[in-house]
Amino acid sequence: MNDPRCHRIDPLVSRRDFLARAGGGFGAMALAGMLRTTAAAPAAHHRRRAKRVIFLFMEGGPSHIDLFDPKPELNRLAGQRLPGSFVRPITAMGEANSPLLACKREWRQHGQSGLWISNWLPHTARHADDLCILRSCWADGINHSSGICQMNTGSILAGRPSLGSWVNYALGSENANLPAFVVMQDAQAVVVNGARNWGAGFMPATYQGVPFASGAEPVANLRPGIGVSAERQSARLSLLEQLNREHAGPRAHQSDLDARIRAYELASRMQMEAPEAVDIGRETEATQRLYGIDRPETASMGRLCLLARRLVERDVRFVQIYHGAGNRWDAHSGIEKNHSDLCLSQDLPVAGLIADLKSRGLLDDTLVIWGGEFGRTPMSEKGDGRDHNPTGFTMWLAGGGVRGGQAIGATDDLGLHAVDERIHVHDLHATILWLMGLDHSSVIYRHQGRPERPTVNEGDVVRKVIG
Amino acid sequence: MASLHRSLVKLLSLLCGVAGVVWAETEVRRDDWSNLPRLRAKGPIRDVERQWWAFQPLYPGNPPRVSVGDVNPIDSWVRASLGAVHRTLSPEAEPQVLVRRMTLDVTGLPPSPESVQAFETACSTVGRDAAVAALADQLLASPAYGERWARLWLDLVRYAESDGYRVDDERPNAWRYRSWVVDALNRDMPYDEFVQAQLAGDELWPDDPLRARVATAYLRHGIYEYNNRDARAQWHTILNDITDVTADVFLGVGLQCARCHDHKYDPLLQKDYYRLQAFFAPLITRDDLTVSVPAEEAAHSAALSRWSATARPFLDAIEAIEGPVRVRAADDAISKFPEDIQALLRKPRGQRTVLEHQIAELAHKQVSYEWGRLSTHFTKAEKAAIAPLREQLRSLEHARPTPLPRAMTVTDIGPEAPELRMPRGDGEVVEPGPLSVLDPRPSTVDRRGLPKETTGRRTTLARWITNPANPLPARVLVNRLWQQHFGTGLASSANDFGVLGERPSHPELLDWLAKELVRGGWSLKHVHRLILTSATYRQASARLRPDGSAPDTRRLEGYPLRRLDAEQLRDALLAVTGELLGSPGGPSVDGTVPKRSVYTRLLRNKRDSLLGSFDSPEQFCSTARRNTTTTPTQALLMMNSNFVEERAAALALSVEGEAGLRPDDQIRHVYRRVLGRWPTESEIGRSREFLLRQTLRLRSEDPSITEAIPTERLALTDLCHALLNSNEFLYID
Repeated sequence: MNDPRCHRIDPLVSRRDFLARAGGGFGAMALAGMLRTTAAAPAAHHRRRAKRVIFLFMEGGPSHIDLFDPKPELNRLAGQRLPGSFVRPITAMGEANSPLLACKREWRQHGQSGLWISNWLPHTARHADDLCILRSCWADGINHSSGICQMNTGSILAGRPSLGSWVNYALGSENANLPAFVVMQDAQAVVVNGARNWGAGFMPATYQGVPFASGAEPVANLRPGIGVSAERQSARLSLLEQLNREHAGPRAHQSDLDARIRAYELASRMQMEAPEAVDIGRETEATQRLYGIDRPETASMGRLCLLARRLVERDVRFVQIYHGAGNRWDAHSGIEKNHSDLCLSQDLPVAGLIADLKSRGLLDDTLVIWGGEFGRTPMSEKGDGRDHNPTGFTMWLAGGGVRGGQAIGATDDLGLHAVDERIHVHDLHATILWLMGLDHSSVIYRHQGRPERPTVNEGDVVRKVIG
Repeated sequence: MASLHRSLVKLLSLLCGVAGVVWAETEVRRDDWSNLPRLRAKGPIRDVERQWWAFQPLYPGNPPRVSVGDVNPIDSWVRASLGAVHRTLSPEAEPQVLVRRMTLDVTGLPPSPESVQAFETACSTVGRDAAVAALADQLLASPAYGERWARLWLDLVRYAESDGYRVDDERPNAWRYRSWVVDALNRDMPYDEFVQAQLAGDELWPDDPLRARVATAYLRHGIYEYNNRDARAQWHTILNDITDVTADVFLGVGLQCARCHDHKYDPLLQKDYYRLQAFFAPLITRDDLTVSVPAEEAAHSAALSRWSATARPFLDAIEAIEGPVRVRAADDAISKFPEDIQALLRKPRGQRTVLEHQIAELAHKQVSYEWGRLSTHFTKAEKAAIAPLREQLRSLEHARPTPLPRAMTVTDIGPEAPELRMPRGDGEVVEPGPLSVLDPRPSTVDRRGLPKETTGRRTTLARWITNPANPLPARVLVNRLWQQHFGTGLASSANDFGVLGERPSHPELLDWLAKELVRGGWSLKHVHRLILTSATYRQASARLRPDGSAPDTRRLEGYPLRRLDAEQLRDALLAVTGELLGSPGGPSVDGTVPKRSVYTRLLRNKRDSLLGSFDSPEQFCSTARRNTTTTPTQALLMMNSNFVEERAAALALSVEGEAGLRPDDQIRHVYRRVLGRWPTESEIGRSREFLLRQTLRLRSEDPSITEAIPTERLALTDLCHALLNSNEFLYID
C-alpha cells in the first residue's frame, strides 16, 4: 500500500459527521436521519442499484467446497496429505497436515448460466441465474470471533462500526417508524461476539442494529410494563409532553430537547407499526408455504426470511439474519450430518425469499447476500469434519443491481487458497456499498481526529459483480 | 460572514436531505472551513511544524484584566473572549440549579433535598461565594467524587472486565484497578504519580503491591483472544493496542495514523510510533503475582507447606494421575499452533531470544488454559481413579489456606529488551524515544534505583510524560477536566490536539490551567475547585437572547445544558427513589443490584441495556468524549422498561411513607426529590388534577391488575414515572 488512502478527507462527504458536531450534539442529527423520507434522501454518491440489503449470515462458516466450489482434485487426493506445493495456512485447530477429506456431494450445473451448485442446495440452485457467486473470497480472521467481526466491521479487532451502521450513517433511514438496521437470528443461542457484531463501534449508538424477533414484542420494551394499560400509559405520556414543552420554552435553541420530545413520538409510532410489520399472520398460506413455514425443518428460517421481506418492503434499509446462530455451521466433525441439517433448514426459505422478492418486484433494488465468516478446509479434522478456511471461500450476491448467473474468481485445485480475482472482505464491503450508491472511500466518520472509513481505508469494488 | 454561514448551511442541508431540521447555526464556525488541514510535505519535521500550538511550551502570560471584580482568572479569559464580540457572561444560576449542577457534576448523584436546603440557607447566611466554595470542598471530599470521576479515566483506558472475543472470558481481578483509580482520585493523588504508577509502578514502587501490581493493570485492558494460534501477530496486536491507547490517553495526539506511515497532517513520524512502542517492547503479562505484601506472602507460603504436609499422600496420588494428563493436554494445545510456534514452545528457555521467549509465554497461555480445565482431558479410567482421591482430599479442604488475591498485571520479561524493528523498509532497529517533534534524540534509560530484573524503559517514559517541560500531558488533562465540567473541552477533540482536531476556543486559558495543575502539585482537586468556583461555571444556563437569537455556547455565553450520561442517569434513578446502596466498591455486581453504575459488571460482549442505550462506550478503544444520542430506543426503554417502572413504583411508595397520603404533600416531595426544587402553584394544581383523573381511570380498569395496590398509589406512580422521564430530570441545567 504505497499510497494509503486514509488521509484523503473530503469535507463534503464527511458532512454528516461535520453537521453532527456543528449541531452541538447528535440529537438533531439522529432524528434527521430517522425523519428522512425517500424523496429527501439522495445522499448517495452515484446511482443506487440497491436500496436495501438482506444479509443472510451463515454463522460458523459453511463449506464452500461442498456447496458452490467443486474440486474434483480433492476427491482424487482424498486421504493424502496436502501436497507440498500448497502454502500451509495457519489453521484454528492445527489441521494443516491432516489427510484431505473427499466431498461426498453430487454436483450439477444449473440454469441457463450453468453454475455449479451441489445437491445440498436444490432450491437455491433453482435461482442459479440470479446468483453472482464469489468463489475467491478471503479474510484475515482464523477464528470465528475475528472472522465474524471482520465480515461485519471490516476489522478482525473489535471496536469498529458494523456495515449496517455505516450504511445507516451514510444514508439514514427511509422509514421513521422502524429502525434502519435490524438484526434477527434463527435460535435463542448467543451469536459469537454478541451484540457488538451489529454495534455502532465508535459512532453514536443511533446507528447500531436493533435486534428484532417475531411475536407481540418484536423490539425490546415495545410494550408498557405489566399492569400498565394503554390508557394509563397515554395519560403519563401526555403529562410528560406538557412537562417537556414547558421546560423547552426558554431553551428553544437546544435542539436536543426538541429531539428528545420527538424521540418519544417516534417511539409511540414504532409501538404501532412494529407489531404489524412482524405479523406474518397477514400473509397468505401460499406465501407462507413458499418460505417453508408449514414444515418443521424450515419453519424457523422461513419465518425470518418472510419477516425480512416484510421489513424491506417497509424500507428498513439493512436486515441481517443469523442462520445457525450459536456457530452451528462450524463443522469440525461430522460435516455430513451438520451441513445436511443446516442446508435443509435454510435452502427452501432462502429460495422462497428470492422468489417472493422477485415476484413483488423487490429483487431489483434489494441486495441479498449469503455467506459466513469463512469457508472450510479441504483437510479433514477428526476424520469427518473440516477446519476453518479464511484463505479461500464463497459468498453469493443476488438482486440489487448484481449481474446474476456468473461465478467470479477461483480458488486453487483444492479450494484452500483464493488464487484468481481474489476478493478480500474489504472488496466485498466496497462492492456492497457501491451497489448502495456509496463510494467506500468517501464515507467518512471522524474519530479521534482520524478519518475512518467502512473498509478501513482499503478495498476495491469488484466491477464484474455489477449488472 | 453570517450569510455565508447560512448559505453553507443551506447547501449542506440540501446535500444531506435534512431540510427543516434545526440546529445551532452559530456553532458552524468559520474555522471549520478556512482551516481545512493541509497535507504535510514528506520528510523531516520542519520548524514551522514545531510551531503548532499543542507542541509549544505553556503560554507564560497572565490573565487579562477585564473587570476589576474578577477574582477567578478563568473568568478573565472567558470575559475577554466574550467581550471581543460584545457579549457577557449570563447572571449567576439560582441556588437550587447550582447545587444540582455541582452535585451531579462532582459526585454523579443528584443532591438530596436536605443538601439543597442546606445550600440555599448557606447562600443567604454566608453569601454565595462562601457557600459555593464550601459546597465545592464538601463535594470534592465526598467518596462519591472518585466514583464519578473514575468513569472518565476508565473510558480513556477502555477498562472492561472481559476479554472481548468469542469467549468473552471474565477478568475476575480487573476491578482492583478500578478501585485503585477511585481511591487515587479521592485521595487526590498527584497526577504525575498517578501516571507513573500506571506505566511503571512495578519498576518505581516494587514493594507496594497496589502501585506495582494493580495500577499497572492499565497495560492489561486490551482485548485478548484465548485461541489465537498466530501468536506472533497476536503479540504485535497487543503491543500496537498499548501504543495506541498510551498516545491517546497521555499525549492526546493521533499517533495511530503513524503505525503504517508518517502522519499525513501532523509532524508525527512512523518512527515515533515505534519509538513509543519500544518502551513497552519488553513487557509480558502476568497473572501469577499477588497483591499482598512480602510478609503476607511468606506467611501464606508457610501455612501452605504445613497444610500440604498433612495432605501429602492425597496430593501425590492426584499428581501421579494429573501429571501425565497435563503433559498430554499441553501437547494437544501446542499441536494446534503453526510449526514454527510449536518449535518455539518446545525450545528450552535458555535457547530462546528475548522476543521468542515473549511469544512463547503468550502462546503458553493456551496451554495454561487447557490445564485450567484439566478434567476435560481425563480418560474414563483416570476420572474413575481420581474421584475417590479428590473426595478424600475434600475433607482436608477446610484447612487449606485461602489463596492470596491475585493481580492482573505486567512486568518486563527481564533486564534485556527485545529488538524492535521498523515494520517496513530496511527494518531498522528502533530505540525508545519521545515524539521527535518535541525531542528527536532517543531516550536515555536511567536504571539507577530500579529493580534488577526490569529494563527501566517504562520508568523513562513515565518520567518524560510527567516532566513539566513536556507541554502535552498537562494540557491534555486539564482539557479533559474542563470537558467533564462543561460538556466540551476548551479543545473539543480531546484525544487529538493535532491539525485534524479543533483548535482550542481559549488557548491561553487552557495553558494557564495546565500551569495551575503543575503549580498545585499536579492536584486535580485544585483545578476542579478553580473551575467550580468561577463565575463562568456558576452562570445560569444558556437561554435565547432577548432578540431571539441563540447564545454563543462555545464562548460560554451561559452554562451549556447537558444530558445526564448513562451512569449519572442510572444512579439518579436509583438515588431519588432512595434505593441506591452506598459504597464501598469492591468486585463488580450485576446491573440488577442497586449499586452505583461504576460498579456494574462491564462485559464487552454483553452490555447493560440501559447504560449501552445511553451511550456508555463499548470499551474497545480509548473514549475521550462520549457520544450523546437521542433515540426512540431510549424513549422505549424509559417509557416501558421494567427497570424504570420499578423505580417509579419504589419512588411512589417511598414518598407515600415520607409525605403521607395528602396529594399536595406528595407532589411537593416528588418534585423535591426528582428535580431538586419545589413545584410552583400551577404545577401543584396540574399534578393534583392528574392524580385525581388517573385514580378514577385506574378504578375503572380491570381490578385484577390493581387490587394489590391502592389506586392512589398507582396514580402517584404514574406522576413519578412522568417526572423520571422528563427532560428536566435528564438534563443538567
